[in-house]
Order: sequence, then C-alpha cells, then structure tokens
Amino acid sequence: MLSIIGYYTTQFGELWEHSLFDLVEEAASGVLKSTSIEKKQIDAVFFGNMMAGVLENNLLSSAKIAEVLGIHVPIFRTEGACASGGMAFHLATRYIQSGSAKTVMVIGGEKMTDYSPEEVTDALAAASSGEEQEAGMTFPGLYGMMARIYLDKYEYTEEHLAHVASKNHYHGSLNDKAHFKREISPEKILKSPYVASPLKILDCSPISDGACAIVLTSDKNLVKRGKGVEVVSSEMATDVISLKNRKSLDSIEATCIAGQKAFKKAGITRREVGVAEVHDCFTIAELFALEDLGFWKKGTAGGKIKEGEGKYGSTSKLIINTSGGLKAAGHPVGATGIKQIGEVYLQLTGQADRRQVKNLRYGLAHNVGGSGGVAVVTILGS
Amino acid sequence: MISPVKIWRRQKEIRKILGKKGSIVTFTKIFIPGSDFKKYAPYFVVLVQLDDGERSTAQLVDCTDTKVKIGARVKAILRKVREVSSEDVIAYGVKFKLINS
Repeated sequence: MLSIIGYYTTQFGELWEHSLFDLVEEAASGVLKSTSIEKKQIDAVFFGNMMAGVLENNLLSSAKIAEVLGIHVPIFRTEGACASGGMAFHLATRYIQSGSAKTVMVIGGEKMTDYSPEEVTDALAAASSGEEQEAGMTFPGLYGMMARIYLDKYEYTEEHLAHVASKNHYHGSLNDKAHFKREISPEKILKSPYVASPLKILDCSPISDGACAIVLTSDKNLVKRGKGVEVVSSEMATDVISLKNRKSLDSIEATCIAGQKAFKKAGITRREVGVAEVHDCFTIAELFALEDLGFWKKGTAGGKIKEGEGKYGSTSKLIINTSGGLKAAGHPVGATGIKQIGEVYLQLTGQADRRQVKNLRYGLAHNVGGSGGVAVVTILGS
Repeated sequence: MISPVKIWRRQKEIRKILGKKGSIVTFTKIFIPGSDFKKYAPYFVVLVQLDDGERSTAQLVDCTDTKVKIGARVKAILRKVREVSSEDVIAYGVKFKLINS
C-alpha cells in the first residue's frame, strides 16, 4: 500500500525575494519537518518543473536539489508542461511499486514572475506544435479555440465561464497560501479585457511562483506515525500535441482515458468522491474536466457551475477546487500537480482549515499538460 | 531569431498548402502574444478544415471582426509570419484570408 504522509506548500504568488531553489528548499524542509522524518529516510526524489531550462538557463536540477538537501540519492526531474508535477507524482508511485524505494519525496516548483508576459508566453508556447507556434498561437489561444466550440455547441455564454472563476476566487479567499485571496464577482470577470477571445484575463490562471512537496511511502511504520492517506490510484494518459489532430475539440481525451483507468483501478464510483482538484488553467478547462472525468454529463457543466454546484458551503456532493484552483491559488506550473494532490491530502486528513469539507472518504486530483497532450489523475482515500 | 536552416526546412511544407480552400472550425483573437508576434496583435488564429480533408492552424488576415465566424470560407496565402530584426532571414509562412467577402 502506498500512502502520502505529509505535504507542505510555500506561499504562491509574486515571490521576488525567492529563487526557484529557495522555494524548493523551503518546500522540502517544510515537508520533512511536518512528517518528522529525516533526510536519510528519503530513498529518492522526483521533481516536477517545466520552464527553468527555457526561462532561466537552469538545468540539472537533480544536482541542485542534492546540494540544497545534502543528499546523494537518485533525483529525477519530470517535464510534462503544466502536468510536470502530476507526472513526477505518478512516476514516484511506480518507482516505489517497482521495489526501488520505500520512501520518496515528490517536489513541484516553478519560478515565473521574474519574466515579462511575452517571455512567459513564449516559454509556455514551447509546449505546443510547431505549426501552432508559427501561427503565433498562445496557451490562452488554444483553450480559447476550444471554449468557442463548447459555448457554441451547448449554447452557453461567457457568463457561464465567469462563474467558474468566481467560485474558485471564493475558495482562494479561504486559503492563506493562495496567490489571490479575494473574491471576484462574475460581473467584474465579464468586464475584464480579452487575452484570447472568448477568454478574458480573469478566465486565466495567473503567472505565479511557488513550490510544494509531498512524502510518499510504502513503509508501514512511517504511515502509523502520522496523518496518512492512501494513494488508491494514479494513472496517466497522453494525446497528440496538435489541437487540429484531436478527435474532439470540446473535451480532453487524455483526461477521459486517465480518469477511466483511475476509477477502474480504484474500484469506486464517481459519487464516492467528495472533493476534486481539477485543472482549471482556464475556466473552460474546469468544465471539460468535470465532464471528461465522468462526474457530470457532457454539455452540462456550464449550467451546473452557474447554479452554484461545486462551491464550498453548497449542498453539492462534490466540492470542486477548494484550494482556489489554478485560477485563484495560482499556477506555478511545475508545482500545480503537487498542490492539487496536497490539497486533497489536507482535506482527507482534516487539515483544510476554513475550507474543510466534512465526511470525506475519497478525493481526486486532475492535472493536465499543454492543451491536453498529457493528463494525470490521482485518487486518494482516507 | 529563427535559424535559416529551420526556415528552409519549414518552407518545403508551405507550397503543399498554398491556395487551398476550407472552412473555419474554430477561432480565437489573440490580444497577448509571444514576443515575435507583438507587432501583429491583436490578430486572429483560425483552425481550418481544408476541402481536401486536412486541417491547418494559422493566422487569419485582411478581415473585419464581424465576418470571422465558424463555417466561414477561407483560402491559404503566403505571408511574412513573425517579427524579425533587420539582419535576420525573413520567415514566410501560411496565413488565411476570407473568400467571397
């Protein structure tokens, strides 16, 4: 059995006083402290990061983490665009299951705010096809194209998208570690300027700095000592990079595949999941996630979110993105997948503070890379 | 800057698509571009279903906002595709323009 026995996250936001590896160091020492385990008990480290190589000429993170932590164990960096963190976690589960390690630290981190919007836009666009890059396409643009199809097909408007962001900002206001801790009304979101139509600035997750760390173990003695949750399943799927070659433009097939595998492996139904952290890099992406993961019927998510479903404090069976999601908690790309799993861990262990959902048995984390080229789905159980 | 070798490699593909017609499947108008495209913003990018069965993603130029719609007919044309400095090789590529309008 695999368990998560601890989680730590730095503040997310514009952290100009901290470098990438300052944040990694804070996350790693934070999680060791919270689990009361020593460095020598860590058999390997997995690190999710997308852009350090592109933005700041910063590679061989294995050795940099070894220097920060003062250890000599195997350290791997994974890159899966915005799913770099989820991919690191997924590999860590398989690494332990292969018998190569008992206890592994999984870190996710990204430093983005040292750079101009154009530089970050360029770096993110590295995860799109050559043709898309040549067309001057951006990430908001790719999701904007998908959003237009969804709105057109199911007769929704930009107002339906605004309610996703508004809900997540409300959740962010309950999370001290969130980049944005203030509520924003749907009206204000609708008045914000376009980034890539029909998506506006307040439909988009922000450019953030941050790092998170998790300790994952198969060692029963360690699990007994602290607050542990079981990793019921961790599954990943891929798809073509080019949006034009996808089977569907109003869903993410990689999510459908990873989700089906994860639920099959877990042997539970959608109704047993009480909290979900889904990948809302843009408001439209949260609607896709809820439908593609099988929680809600295709074409219904826009209406349900507008009616208030998924919001903390509502009567919904499933509370969505209690951390504030990528939208309000922030989106330090490599850290996001770990934050999502960490948030579900906090919820299942009763440590989610002002946003604690009650009577939980299972929680799900869903991390997408690029415009849907990679998806990782993790189900945790208490 | 984009290397001349890359331009040469990509340009071999351009002629295959020039002049082809198709319909807009979906589109977006980009207001915040990457650094090489700043000069052109805001601009439309369209995903086009070509009549020969292929699909293509490129910018849509020479158009007014109200005419850009899902289903609108377009044609592939040759245009300069990104902002370069005065000593760089100019990169040409495919863009689309509306037809019958």
